[in-house]
Amino acid sequence: MGPCWKVRVRELLALLTALAVVLIGQAGTVGAQAGKPILIGASISMTGTYAKLGNYTRDGYLLCAKEVNDQGGLLGRKIEFVIYDDRSDPPTAIKLYEKLITEDKVELVMGPYSSPITNAASTVSEKHRKIMVASLAATTSIWERGYKYLFMTISPAEVYMEGLIELAAERGLKTVAIINEDTLFSKAAAKGAADLARKKGMRVVLHEAYPKGTTDFSALLIKMKALNPDVIVAGSYFDDAVATTRQMKELDVNPKMFGVTVGGDVPDFGKQLGKTAEYVYGSTQWADNIPYPGAKEFVQNYKKMFNREFSYHAPAAYGACQVFAEAIRRANSLDPDKIREQLLRLKMTTAFGDYQVDARGFQIAHKMVLLQWQEGKRVTVWPPQLSDGKSIYPTPPWNQRR
Amino acid sequence: MPIQITGAMMLQGVVSGLLAGGLYAMVALGLSLIFGVMRVINIAHGALLMLGAYTTYWLFALYGMNPFLSLLISFPLLFGVGVLLQRWFVHRVVNAPELSSLLLTFGISIFIPNLAMLAWTADYRSVEFLTGSFLLGPIAFSKPRLVTFLFALGIAGLAFLFLLKTKLGKAIRATSQHREVAQVCGINVRRIDLIAFGLGAGLAGAGGSLVSVMFSVFPEMGQIYVFKSFLVIVLGGAGNYPGAFFGGLLLGLVEGLASLLLTAQLSEVIAYILLVLVLLVRPTGLLRGRA
Repeated sequence: MGPCWKVRVRELLALLTALAVVLIGQAGTVGAQAGKPILIGASISMTGTYAKLGNYTRDGYLLCAKEVNDQGGLLGRKIEFVIYDDRSDPPTAIKLYEKLITEDKVELVMGPYSSPITNAASTVSEKHRKIMVASLAATTSIWERGYKYLFMTISPAEVYMEGLIELAAERGLKTVAIINEDTLFSKAAAKGAADLARKKGMRVVLHEAYPKGTTDFSALLIKMKALNPDVIVAGSYFDDAVATTRQMKELDVNPKMFGVTVGGDVPDFGKQLGKTAEYVYGSTQWADNIPYPGAKEFVQNYKKMFNREFSYHAPAAYGACQVFAEAIRRANSLDPDKIREQLLRLKMTTAFGDYQVDARGFQIAHKMVLLQWQEGKRVTVWPPQLSDGKSIYPTPPWNQRR
Repeated sequence: MPIQITGAMMLQGVVSGLLAGGLYAMVALGLSLIFGVMRVINIAHGALLMLGAYTTYWLFALYGMNPFLSLLISFPLLFGVGVLLQRWFVHRVVNAPELSSLLLTFGISIFIPNLAMLAWTADYRSVEFLTGSFLLGPIAFSKPRLVTFLFALGIAGLAFLFLLKTKLGKAIRATSQHREVAQVCGINVRRIDLIAFGLGAGLAGAGGSLVSVMFSVFPEMGQIYVFKSFLVIVLGGAGNYPGAFFGGLLLGLVEGLASLLLTAQLSEVIAYILLVLVLLVRPTGLLRGRA
């Protein structure tokens, strides 16, 4: 077996080398030819922890590209996304953006999904003087590094739970327990919730982080059960939000209000949990019943193109891409400094809502909404002017539910 | 914010930890079995677990089959997958340096989840079968975890009986103790390899079925169980089957109590400190001797 094996390995290596040469050759010719589509590079979490939300992000980009192209493209050229899978891993995203910019020679880039990955990937785009419109990064600290070419399009993490805390304070609730994944965004969202709660005179009785990838929340929930807080806030993504909710039922933990930062707004949250999802609050950057211009059309076109339900991540990516396209049209150039100038000045409402940034590129116009699961549906319950329902309060204890 | 830990909370932590540990034990037993017999470190163990979980998920989603009944399908199915993996790939590296088996199973562990992702997408799915808990005074026994724990114990127990009492089981242990001598005694070690890998894969698959009742099912769900299983077999002693079992319970307990008394972030740190300590002080595992 030995020698025969070796020959095969050698053949395989030769084949791979040949393949690599062909691929590199092709990549080299792409950038050189004018009239070709404008390539926009991005890494997306198509697998791993953020896969679910990452894929919606990708959908949003693809739908935006289709519409921009249907309207004649940008600067007379079609646009085309080059998207790689970063496996929900920031170091991988760094490598991919480096590859996109230096090897694939994309002319533009767009942001990846999630704060930690944007935080990492933007170091590359900034270094190469590429504008990065970060469609799904909500962590304030990312914009405190003094980057010139990084733009935020969604509301910051700190205000995710504003609605929940507001409602809790209105009802005279006194104590809140907060848990969060120990990554950038979740930490900021949890801290934001804690600060808001203290400002409203509530007491934060527990504030604890758990590592990314945690599936067993028993210990945290045991502590919470002992403290019996009025409100529980989970600074979560999707799978941890599902697991926390399910295990809350298993351990019979009964707060008067329970809200999750991310995950509660995803259709699968209700699908996976069934009745267990009832009364859970989730926050979202967008809901399909808010009458932003183009929102209805977005919903229809999304259904047509992908034939499935989606969460706010899709319109967020779509909106960010529309903002980017508009800035490029106004700049009438792909020069990063010219686009930057337009992005700083632009005030725009897309299907995703309002866009306007301050001098740091930090988002100041976009609004968050709070939703609650009621009879298998997501009902927006805050702020009043954007709501289509009322919250059901208090959340009944598990043993009194049917 | 220090929080008063009461006796009831400790007890709840112990219960939750042990319930989690039973599953670790069973899954790690499969990994230990394969290592014991072939000295192959099967990194693809988690991928096999994932396949077992999907088996249960699809049987539940499409035919409404009781997830615990589906063990009767996931175990033999994964046994078959294990046998095929062994016959096609793994047997080539059994006598090769350990790096070869690491690389091979590492490759398989990337290939299978990605295949699953193509076939079933990266969506998180769940088997919403048993939810809620029994309350015993202040202690909550999560229904899915309790039932899962009992099944894990039962399956691990059966596996032990098989290894201890049956002729085939004895042949497997003989091979794991000394391959050459076993061969000289007339044991067909290649056949034993097939069966051991099949059994190991079957245990992983059964573990997957059980995990699916508690947690989300997705293509990369197996990863954390590989790490945990490694920890368990180091704690218990590589190739030491009862050791794997107690190692599993111990890991569950340590994780549960560490995240209760300290923080959830520190619980993994504690688990790995334990690993380092065991490697330093008792590199053969906490239980001495081999099965």
